[in-house]
Amino acid sequence: MVSYILRRLGYMAILIVLVAVVGFIIIELPPGSYLEVELTRIRALGGDINQAMIDALKQQYGVDQPLHIRFWKWISGFVRGDFGLSFEYWTPVNQLIWLRLWYTIFTSLLTLVFQWVLAIFIGVYSATHRYSLLDYLITVLQFIGLSMPAFLLALLLMVIVHKTLGWHVSGFNSPEFQDLPWNWAKIVDFAKHVWLPIVVVGANGTAWLSRVMRANLLDVLNMQYVQTARSKGVRENVVIWKHAVRNAIHPLIMVLGASLPAIISGQLIVGVVLNLPTVGPLYFRALMNQDMYLAASILMFLTFALLIGNLLADILLAIVDPRIRLGEG
Amino acid sequence: MMAEEKVTTATTTKAAEETAARAVDNILTIRNLHTWFFTDLGISRALNGVNLNVPRGKVLGIVGESGCGKSVTSLSILRLVPRPGRIVSGEILLHRRRKAPDGTITEETIDLTKLHPQSPEMRAIRGAEIAMIFQEPMTSLNPCYTIGNQIMEAILLHQEVSKREAWELAGDMLEKVGMPNPRQVLSRYPHELSGGMRQRAMIAMALSCEPSILIADEPTTALDVTTEAQILDLMRDLQAEIGMTIIYITHNLGVIAQMCDEVAVMYLGRVVERAGVEDLFYDPKHPYTKALLDSIPHVGSRTKRRLASIRGVVPDPYATISGCPFHPRCDAYMPGKCDQLVPAPANVAPNHMVRCYLYSDEGEVENGR
Amino acid sequence: MAETAQVQSQEIWVEPISKVGQYSQWKLMRMRFARNKLAMIGSIGLLVLYIIVALAPFLAPTDYMRQNQDYVYGPPSKLTFRGPDGKLGLRLYTHPVVTQLNPQTYRWDFKPDTTKFEPVVLFAKGDPYTLFGIKSNIHLFGTRNSDVRIYLLGADSLGRDMLARILMGGRISMTVGLLGVALTIVFGTVFGTASGYYGGFIDDMMQRLVELIQAFPTVPLWAALSAALPNISEEFTALDRYFLITLILSLVNWTGLARQLRAKVMAYNRADFTMAALAAGASDARVIFVHMMPNAASHIIVVAALSIPGMILGETSLSFLGLGILPPLVSWGALLRDAQNLQTVMTAPWLMIPGIAVVIAVLLFSFLGDGLRDAVDPYSI
Repeated sequence: MVSYILRRLGYMAILIVLVAVVGFIIIELPPGSYLEVELTRIRALGGDINQAMIDALKQQYGVDQPLHIRFWKWISGFVRGDFGLSFEYWTPVNQLIWLRLWYTIFTSLLTLVFQWVLAIFIGVYSATHRYSLLDYLITVLQFIGLSMPAFLLALLLMVIVHKTLGWHVSGFNSPEFQDLPWNWAKIVDFAKHVWLPIVVVGANGTAWLSRVMRANLLDVLNMQYVQTARSKGVRENVVIWKHAVRNAIHPLIMVLGASLPAIISGQLIVGVVLNLPTVGPLYFRALMNQDMYLAASILMFLTFALLIGNLLADILLAIVDPRIRLGEG
Repeated sequence: MMAEEKVTTATTTKAAEETAARAVDNILTIRNLHTWFFTDLGISRALNGVNLNVPRGKVLGIVGESGCGKSVTSLSILRLVPRPGRIVSGEILLHRRRKAPDGTITEETIDLTKLHPQSPEMRAIRGAEIAMIFQEPMTSLNPCYTIGNQIMEAILLHQEVSKREAWELAGDMLEKVGMPNPRQVLSRYPHELSGGMRQRAMIAMALSCEPSILIADEPTTALDVTTEAQILDLMRDLQAEIGMTIIYITHNLGVIAQMCDEVAVMYLGRVVERAGVEDLFYDPKHPYTKALLDSIPHVGSRTKRRLASIRGVVPDPYATISGCPFHPRCDAYMPGKCDQLVPAPANVAPNHMVRCYLYSDEGEVENGR
Repeated sequence: MAETAQVQSQEIWVEPISKVGQYSQWKLMRMRFARNKLAMIGSIGLLVLYIIVALAPFLAPTDYMRQNQDYVYGPPSKLTFRGPDGKLGLRLYTHPVVTQLNPQTYRWDFKPDTTKFEPVVLFAKGDPYTLFGIKSNIHLFGTRNSDVRIYLLGADSLGRDMLARILMGGRISMTVGLLGVALTIVFGTVFGTASGYYGGFIDDMMQRLVELIQAFPTVPLWAALSAALPNISEEFTALDRYFLITLILSLVNWTGLARQLRAKVMAYNRADFTMAALAAGASDARVIFVHMMPNAASHIIVVAALSIPGMILGETSLSFLGLGILPPLVSWGALLRDAQNLQTVMTAPWLMIPGIAVVIAVLLFSFLGDGLRDAVDPYSI
């Protein structure tokens, strides 16, 4: 088990380096950089930045130098926690993204939990109550949840909530709480805001996961050991939850890793619509403005989060499945 | 000229049947059981009027080709018939005999078809009075729980013991079924055991509450021959020791010969012949039984002889055949007689029943046709 | 009795009532598909949708690019069956609209002038267009007076007809999925088959590549790649961008199919029919194309169909963010850019209608994909 984790970690390290390389190359693909654009703009207006400062920047980030030099300069800063400078905001990247990253991860985790709990219950219900009215209704909702883009749902809910409840819905806190320190009231206010991105981003995943759960459970219910359990006189409820669901969850845990990218992607887009202080709005702006260090760093961190998520999911699977834990028997 | 009489006049009245039945001590009586499956492609009449008496303390074998309804019979007894199937009509009577601590014996008869499959009464019977072991040891045990846990579950459901005691009892049971290292196996998972060991664990689980009836649905079909022999020995020993009734379902006539006291031959949802094991093997009456026995390769026969097989194949379960369902494949087919009505059960000897127009003239009108 | 019963000489065979055993595999699949109501709804609905967007310029009364400064964020036109005589009739009428600045809200009010009636006619003359090489200016419906225009679904920030824009946008949104999936099939099949069949080094390399691609979160990767595309210019038109966007969408998508095909081909490698074919002297190419592919074909079709919704949603999201389809081309996602904030949506809710179109298209494709999957699966009931 420990060796398994160590192997995966080592493998992940290599992958992270590759990801950084690929990410950097992609971000660098468009010609020109923000620094040059800024400089041209300032000069066009007649102003000028201190030449010494320009030289220092060029030196530090290797702006005039070939790709691999720039990459190396960027990577070597990681050890110090320096991820480059955002040329649009004129601030070090790590300052800009630190808090936003944590917000992103936090809401993503909440979405994951929400999605999972709901999906399991819906999946079990629709598998055990096939062809009932509620089952058909659930199927309809599932289809809609799968077809609606998250941002559209966000817009709709925003409009509905605003019209019916009059709540302030964008961002994570109402304006009056923005700069206050965290206290109970602020937490409540936060909850009143954060449910929207969670529900909106979780809708798609819940729909999909619950269908997988339903299909898995139907498969498992056909298995012989379920029959054995019944033949012992076990209550139907217990048969379903203790024997069937426990087995049906395995494939679901295997796809746990697969549901993470969708959650992160969804949170990013919804963050733009709802103007959340997550990494989303920042990332897309950076891309549009060629702010390369910012964009590349964000991409790398998101990928990193994804890789860790996958690793944790695999560990969870190993814990839950005795066959993997003890090695194939 | 044959010495024995051809019994053409058979006692087929219900009353006579019942007298015969009561003469033997039956623990289970199945009367005219119909279990049908209602699917999109049509109605599959898996059990089409099954009559079966299971004598107490004996081993009854049920034999037949795939699709004849053997497994559905056992599932019907335990009320475990999966959707879209259900019991349409008929009775399954359990003749319960309990011995109180002071020695008094109480008897009662329950009709299992009248109980709801999920009711507490039915669940109390399952596992405690009637237990079942299945064909595939690989998939019959839940891969996520230890052997001990699964046996314990059965014990805790039907007996008033603590978890600790249940664990001990489970270990005792494993020892009884001849499991190597029984105490250690309790903590093992199914995938760590071999096929034979898994089947032993299944048997231990089934017997843990000392049921009166054990239904064994092809328990050795998936095992190799050596392991099969061991399991069969085990079952015989246990049966002799506890005095349990066993219903043994198989398509293997060799096993029937070894294990069973009485045999019922099924074809397309009906019992077509029923006799003691000796009578069946040495004096089979139904053409199907004869054909089955003929198709067994004999040790010592001339190698040039082709294996005999029964003409044709088992028909599509959704098809309807008029009259005796075997007539399309029967060498003794009598047109005009065999294709009209299903032959009614007839006794050619005190303990030998056949459904065949060779031995009686009475037919049955089908319900639902 | 037994002696008198003679064996009949002929083979007696029972006619089975059900014909299930007599159909070929493909026919069985088609039958199962046809029985699935949702799948039929999906296929027919999609057919209708494709026909509609193909005829887009004809169906809409106005050209999708025509701006109208007098009708910025204008509401859907009111149509009525009540004629100038005040009675209900069979003819549809619309009213010319008067634009006024509301002194209190500082917004434009659009009041229909109910004294003037403009009949709605079929096959009206309108803006010229070219459809399948035919030049015409006849539209399905419209008015005789070109000053009075019908905005069935309202107008956007530049006064352009939403119906026309949604229909034209549909052309892009509905074909992105198809093109993207075609590319996905090509990449996925080639890589997956090569990897599974040859194994060894090729397999290892492909596995690493797939893992690398799948390590990235999808939308950020798409966004980064799209941002790398050059700006719209003489050399790089909006149409070129459209094709490249499709390529980008499938670039990330093929990995799933490749993985599954790899597993299937590896299983086929060990199958008896492969051994038999190789023993008979078949070349690798023959084994792959004649023996393995037909077996995997149904699986490929299902996976492809099931990934179309994802591609449509991907393009919609990208265009919504401004990274996908850019003007002058228009797609449903691009149209939704106008509906980005609460203010706009509250005043002009019809801007969200392209979203409904997306949901419907994705829903229909989901029905289709599910139906295909159920029809192909031999174990489903």
